[in-house]
Amino acid sequence: MPTPSGEQPQRLGVGSGELPRWEEGADLSIVGRAHPRVEGDAKVTGGAQYASDVRLPGQLYARVLRSPYAHARLTGLDTGRAAALPGVHAVLSSANAPEIAWYEDSLLFDRTLRFVGDEVAAVAAESEEIADDALRLIVDAYEPLPFVLDLDTALAPDAPKLRPSGNLNGEPTVYERGDLAAGLRDADVIVEETYVTQAALHNCLEPHGCTAAWDGDRLTLWSSTQSVFDVRQRVAEALGLPEHHVRVIKQHMGGGFGSKQIAWKQDVIAALLAKESGRPVQLMLDREAENLAVGNRNPTRQRVRLGAKRDGTLTAIAVDAAQQIGAHPVGGEGADVPAIYQNLYRCPNVRTEQRLVFTNTGPAVAFRAPGHVEAAFALEQAMDQLARALDLDPLELRRRNYADQDQAEGKPYTLPEALGRCYDLAADAFGWAGYQKPPAAGPKRRGVGLAAHDWAGGGGSPPGYAWVKWNADGSVDVVTGTQDIGTGARTGLTQVAAEELGLPMDRVALHLGDTANGPYAPVSSGSATQSTIGPAIRAAAADAKRQLFEAASEFLEAPPEAMTIRDGKIHVAGEPEDRATPVGDVTAQIAPTMIQGHGERGPNPEDKSVRTVGAQIVEVEVDTETGEVSVCRVVAAHDCGRIINPTLVDSQVIGGVTQGIGFALFEDRVVDAGTGVVLNANLEDYHVPTAADVPPIRNVHLNLPDREANPTGAKGIGEPPLIPTAPAIANAVYDAIGVRIRELPLSRRRVLDALATREAPR
Amino acid sequence: MTMQPFAYERAASVEDAIAGLARVGGDATHTRPLAGGTDLLTLMKADVFAPARLIDVKRAAGLDSGIAATDGGVTVGALATLADLERHPLLVGPYLALAEAAGSAASPQLRNVATVGGNLLQRPRCWYFRNPRTPCWLKGGDGCPARDGENQHHAIFDTRRDDRPCVAVHPSDPAAALLALDAEVTLRGPGGERTLPLAAFFASPTDERRLETTLLPDELLLSIRLPAPPPGARSVYRKAMDRKVWAFALVGVAARVNLDGGRIADARLILSGVANVPRRATAAEAVLDGAAPDDELFARAADAALADAAPLSRNAYKVPLAKALIRGALADAAGMGT
Repeated sequence: MPTPSGEQPQRLGVGSGELPRWEEGADLSIVGRAHPRVEGDAKVTGGAQYASDVRLPGQLYARVLRSPYAHARLTGLDTGRAAALPGVHAVLSSANAPEIAWYEDSLLFDRTLRFVGDEVAAVAAESEEIADDALRLIVDAYEPLPFVLDLDTALAPDAPKLRPSGNLNGEPTVYERGDLAAGLRDADVIVEETYVTQAALHNCLEPHGCTAAWDGDRLTLWSSTQSVFDVRQRVAEALGLPEHHVRVIKQHMGGGFGSKQIAWKQDVIAALLAKESGRPVQLMLDREAENLAVGNRNPTRQRVRLGAKRDGTLTAIAVDAAQQIGAHPVGGEGADVPAIYQNLYRCPNVRTEQRLVFTNTGPAVAFRAPGHVEAAFALEQAMDQLARALDLDPLELRRRNYADQDQAEGKPYTLPEALGRCYDLAADAFGWAGYQKPPAAGPKRRGVGLAAHDWAGGGGSPPGYAWVKWNADGSVDVVTGTQDIGTGARTGLTQVAAEELGLPMDRVALHLGDTANGPYAPVSSGSATQSTIGPAIRAAAADAKRQLFEAASEFLEAPPEAMTIRDGKIHVAGEPEDRATPVGDVTAQIAPTMIQGHGERGPNPEDKSVRTVGAQIVEVEVDTETGEVSVCRVVAAHDCGRIINPTLVDSQVIGGVTQGIGFALFEDRVVDAGTGVVLNANLEDYHVPTAADVPPIRNVHLNLPDREANPTGAKGIGEPPLIPTAPAIANAVYDAIGVRIRELPLSRRRVLDALATREAPR
Repeated sequence: MTMQPFAYERAASVEDAIAGLARVGGDATHTRPLAGGTDLLTLMKADVFAPARLIDVKRAAGLDSGIAATDGGVTVGALATLADLERHPLLVGPYLALAEAAGSAASPQLRNVATVGGNLLQRPRCWYFRNPRTPCWLKGGDGCPARDGENQHHAIFDTRRDDRPCVAVHPSDPAAALLALDAEVTLRGPGGERTLPLAAFFASPTDERRLETTLLPDELLLSIRLPAPPPGARSVYRKAMDRKVWAFALVGVAARVNLDGGRIADARLILSGVANVPRRATAAEAVLDGAAPDDELFARAADAALADAAPLSRNAYKVPLAKALIRGALADAAGMGT
């Protein structure tokens, strides 16, 4: 069991490691229930305030001029007519903006532009329309430079270079264990194939953006971000402000999916425009900018080799992965493709090599389970192919090989049995064992496929803090600096507080998303919010409860150890139920003295690895004449430890699978080879799934508390459900038509082209 | 982007609207009529097109949204919405293709405001044409970047450089259905009304007329007339998209057959999504007429319809896709579908 570090210089309250576990089968009354979202009413009535809803007196609206070239030097910029347009209050560009370092080697407004969409200038005006009119009046001139748009051209020996050092971001990263060559020699069967994944666009319904307002030398920023503290740190650094003069607020969010896990240029541009104009400035990206300049999933090419003995025992796993990270190293652009090769299966001989490649396209950034989604498409198809080569059930091959320990770290998993149980749950719910393929109906063929995953996240990212304040009437305010990025974290975290405090949900208010109003919490990424902040809140609640019992001890003439709280009433052991005392009686007695609990998320266990795993099985129907792939049903089983709220977990699984269907079948950024222009930076040509594309999705609950991970036993579920969907669909398509498609997405075009050049089934 | 500034007028009558259009000498870059706006406004928001003035014709006397039985046929006012067509009780049996085509277009929200007149007059969805960052011939430039570029959604007919300067496809679903129903359109300009077959209304763009229709800049489309169908005729529309709904056709097929004594008569087969304008497959119709319907016949008709196809670098898949849709549409129209 983890214990809080004894060497910490100062205790900030209760460390979560000191808490007793919520064991499997524990008698919990609020955690584990499908409580509706606490912010649900605000969202359905339009009351919830998103970044673009902010309206301040005198507020201006900003727009950004972007590079029309994939690679160019800015040679001339005349903003005079734009600045003179009535209603325009500020114009910023490399001509007048402070030289603020951005990315690793460029400036906020750099004169070298590296992709179509790179920021050239910005205008703040009294309306978006005036700002756009002003952009049209800017006279810009460029010296176009040679460019590269994809992995093949960027890696060619004589390729145009984005940087003097070339197009590789650092040296290739190599991981090795055992002896790959020996493992391949020992193999009875070897699968060697190359897989290609595409650039997917996050397409958060709420675009990136913010509103910046100054009060003297203090800045408030309402930003659509997954990390209010990281944005505060970055903006303060860029503007030379002390951190306590910058306040970042994010209350409700229409999706981030990783693309909002860092501070982007608009956070600083809006602040500078607001300073220049003396007015609040709102800078929301439009859909095109959203899809050009603030992230995408890195396209990959993965050469995979698997070796296995006749009985299916894996002897070798290798991948050479090239990943297209776009024009700038933004932080989080190099997704961890190798991880799943290193850890999903038990194998002594593993080699992974990863190259990160710059191209003149928009910068890549984390996208829901970054790296794992791309890698699972390749590895899990290769496993399927291996199973067929061995004449083994694909599920059986996986049962024989799945890992029960973290081989890269050399540590056991906290829940080594989880993946095996996910296999069983998914297989039973799907009816895998007895599945009979229906007879072909005309050109339509059915098929089934499965895929599994592990995910480095979900276990939490300590530290993180929370406070609990007990009000005079017995109600409670919980304060933490985390964010609810649309997942329902507000609700799940409130449930943890209410459970520990013994209060009904409506007696607890959770406050988050404001650097000025709560202690530090990390970025909401890595499926970490519930597992990081849940234990911190529980610790703060336990601290507050302990103090309440101490205060009550005198009034109730009972020792604190004898007290519990249920449904807002203090019960004393041995006393009749009807003698219970409402907590408000105690808090009113001691008011205005306020009980304040402080909680800290303690470290994760040092000797064990906390991960999340899962499996999905899908059935598809493929029309061999029209190339149409229809997903008929999806069964998912994922380990997220203790389920705090089954509705919220189901929501994440449904959302992740839906995004996985889009990734598998339609989503694909299209870049014109002649110009570098993104041709589908909109929701008309970039197809995300509609309700009609999404079949019934059944999420089977494992609900196995991970008692060693943290004292709530809960882990994250935000990212994992997306990982296995595309490979499961691809395996099912192969099962249906006998043609293996190793490049995403599986569009009609790709299916028909593959059928036209049908390869022999393997 | 947001739209550039423009003037807005509401026309009280068709005469007013035409006078307004004619006032600028029929300069289509200056003044445009506005109905549902689902295409025009998106072009303006994309900065592809910036007219100085819009004349709103939605309440102009002389234009209407009526769908009525007339002389054995059906007359459709240009302002009828796609939603009106989708669920109108007259548009069944021989006219079913029109309801199916309207119902397969866009999203319910768009169908509630998009008019059939605007649908026929909409511009191509070519992503080079629609992107202000990529010049192209259809927008007044020189070359066609799609011809050797990302042409997976583009034409498979008349694609050689000598054939046509543009490889964009006409996006309308109802257009194919209306052509299969032998529709005529009535237009009105400063000189009065004219009626012409819909087939003559569509024409591939030329250097002088970079548009997909022959409608003059100071003319309005008033109505569409569907003549009385052959007795026993049935029609269908089949469409393939890159997802289940809410997308433009990769290929669409409108088919009409009239089973006369066990043999097909008056066959009509129109393809959308394959050429600058909806393409009538006359060679396939010739295969069908007079023949007894069966799968082998439908396959021969499909082959005949695609015999002249010349796909671009990325859209060869449209050939088998179109053939499959044709076979299915013909079987359904002949009452032999599964």
